[in-house]
Amino acid sequence: MKSLDLRGTGTVFRYTVQQHYKTRSVIIFLLILFLGALAVFPIRAMTGSKAVTETKIRQVYLRNETGFVIEAEDVKKDDVFSGVEIIDTKDDDAALAKTIAAEKNAAATVMTLDREKMCFDIRTNYGADSEVVNADAEALNQVLSQALHQALLRAQSVTAEQETLLHSAVYSQVSKVSDYLRNAEETGTDTHVFANLLYCYLIIMLNTLAMSYVFQQCMEEKVSKLVESLLVSVSPTSLILGKLLAVTLFIFFGLGLVVLGLFISFRIGSQMTDPKILTDMIKNLIHVDFSVLHISVGTIALFLLCTLLAYAIAASFSAIVGSCCSRTEDTQHASLAVVMFIMIGYLVGAFVPMFENDAAYNIVSLFPLTSIFSAFPNFVCGKITAGVFTVALLLQAATAYFLIRTAGRVYRMMIFYRGAFPKPKQVIRMMREERAAARYAAAGKEDPHGK
Amino acid sequence: MGFSVRELFKKYGDKVVVDHLSFEMNEPGVYALLGTNGAGKTTSIRMILNMLSKDGGTVEWNGGPLSLKTCNVGYLAEERGLYPKNTLMDQLMYFASLRGLSRSEAKERIRYWAERLEATEYLYPQQTGAKAPKPKKADELSKGNQQKIQFMLALLSDPELLILDEPLSGLDPVNTDVFKSIIHEEIGKGKYLIMSSHQMATIEEFCTDLTILNRSKTVLQGNLAEIKKSYGRINLFVKAEQELRPMIEQAGITVLSSVGFSYQCRVTGEEQANALLRSLVSQGITLIAFELREPSLHEIFVEKVGEVHEES
Repeated sequence: MKSLDLRGTGTVFRYTVQQHYKTRSVIIFLLILFLGALAVFPIRAMTGSKAVTETKIRQVYLRNETGFVIEAEDVKKDDVFSGVEIIDTKDDDAALAKTIAAEKNAAATVMTLDREKMCFDIRTNYGADSEVVNADAEALNQVLSQALHQALLRAQSVTAEQETLLHSAVYSQVSKVSDYLRNAEETGTDTHVFANLLYCYLIIMLNTLAMSYVFQQCMEEKVSKLVESLLVSVSPTSLILGKLLAVTLFIFFGLGLVVLGLFISFRIGSQMTDPKILTDMIKNLIHVDFSVLHISVGTIALFLLCTLLAYAIAASFSAIVGSCCSRTEDTQHASLAVVMFIMIGYLVGAFVPMFENDAAYNIVSLFPLTSIFSAFPNFVCGKITAGVFTVALLLQAATAYFLIRTAGRVYRMMIFYRGAFPKPKQVIRMMREERAAARYAAAGKEDPHGK
Repeated sequence: MGFSVRELFKKYGDKVVVDHLSFEMNEPGVYALLGTNGAGKTTSIRMILNMLSKDGGTVEWNGGPLSLKTCNVGYLAEERGLYPKNTLMDQLMYFASLRGLSRSEAKERIRYWAERLEATEYLYPQQTGAKAPKPKKADELSKGNQQKIQFMLALLSDPELLILDEPLSGLDPVNTDVFKSIIHEEIGKGKYLIMSSHQMATIEEFCTDLTILNRSKTVLQGNLAEIKKSYGRINLFVKAEQELRPMIEQAGITVLSSVGFSYQCRVTGEEQANALLRSLVSQGITLIAFELREPSLHEIFVEKVGEVHEES
């Protein structure tokens, strides 16, 4: 195989990066991206329920109609309400309203039991001119709810140990007996499906974003009519490689900025509210319980490697297609070709977990087009073995290498092409002719088809 | 030292675009590649520079295959441009860096060529008022001034082999003179130049040897002076204050064209012209001009390309 002349790749990379980050719109875009990520958790903390650390409530007029005795001590166990006076009352609603209207730091709570629906109701009110706010009342209701729970347990004479048992977690696992005997760890189908969807979503976002950047880079010299002046100094392969590496940096820098923004955002949000509220929010949003995925430094490293490989495959395919564009209008055809390529992999990769079939997991993990979407989540969720995963990564790396070289060849071949967006058959024919010419030229002969 | 092209061949599908082109330069000077539109000049240059794969033939520099590693080439392409939104200085530094120049060396050369090409005001804008000078971008320049920057890109690496494809097209007379003086300087420095142009007068001013291409084939090749000599002094220009056509035709001379009492004629040789001159003087005719000369490159080009068109 002819050795690649990669001189100048670094210079092209540096120049492309330098020019990209000199553009004001790019800086503004990155700033918006970072600030957007930074704002996520603090906004959630400000708009969602807050952890109350102190309360304005000094007296609680409690009308308990549940039939279960609420102990004042159970309420006072909570640090926030330790100094609150619980006053049992039988007053009706009108009398209670009158009482709390006259006091600035009082709240009235009515606890009832609906025997038909078999549910409890806790309602707390405070005066219109009271210093008490909604968050105080919500926190009080939560404490009273816990006190009610204790009252129920006491009514059933439940011991402390029994109570602990009642609150103990239940872990469920399903697997084939063969997997169980080899002690294979496997997550449930739901987690696998959602982890897979989440990863596929990330890859598709990354590659769709990369596609437009890659097209732009492939066409830039053609549109600027700089191709010939540049090719005196640098080979087409170095030119396209330098540019693709620069695009990689833009994309991953943007991604890194979002991750950093979210991390800082979480830290800021945690200072503003109970961190559990934020983690629950993530859990509810993406339906993945990260605790069952055993995420370690190794998993993160593998995630980065897989993301890079997936990006390399899709970006080099975009470069092949983008190299065939001569005009801005051609990018419509080009986008369609790339989106189809990515979507096929995405659709197969994302929906195979729903069939729960080992053979299917292995096939989609090994076939490079689907592997970029499936291999990583399948491995992390224990659906494929380390051996299959290693082979999948090797196949992906080989595919990426082949596509990058092909992208270099197509870019070189199409660099002077000016015409309608070519059909794949036409490009393949041109590549064959080019290869034959190169072979004959290398042997010092003339292409026999030349005449 | 030397540069040679042997049996260069290229086809697209079934269409041959360069048909066994061969020429060589054994010493520094200017070699002209001429031809009609689509004759294969630019394709040949692209193959010489390894930008396009060859379907046959070789290109050698100093006895070995020409490559960007073995030969420092400067190229002003016919299809030329700049990154429109990038500053001119950034682009020049980028190209200099690709050619392996250090920053200080690049800055020094850029300064030299900016002064030489009278482009300092675009590359080193002066401060006006309180605002800091803003670096110029390519799209802020006229076409002619962009061409100066493109010429700088070709010259920055101090190339041994300089290829200029239509270097003077689109330039005003002042800038044409600036470009011409630089080309003369480069010739004086002992550089190898290959020039392609449709402006025959320009080619005639610089080149020593040439190849004329027509529809991918070489139709004429050799040393320009020898080619002209081979044609002989057969072009006669006569200008008088009265009608001369009957007398010219009576002397057996063909009148190619006439405007007023000016006549462009074709003679068989110097003797025929001298006979006409004697006849006109003996008849007492006052002559304003009587010039016998070799054919111009333009005439040779038109004749050669015309011949091929007639044959085909």
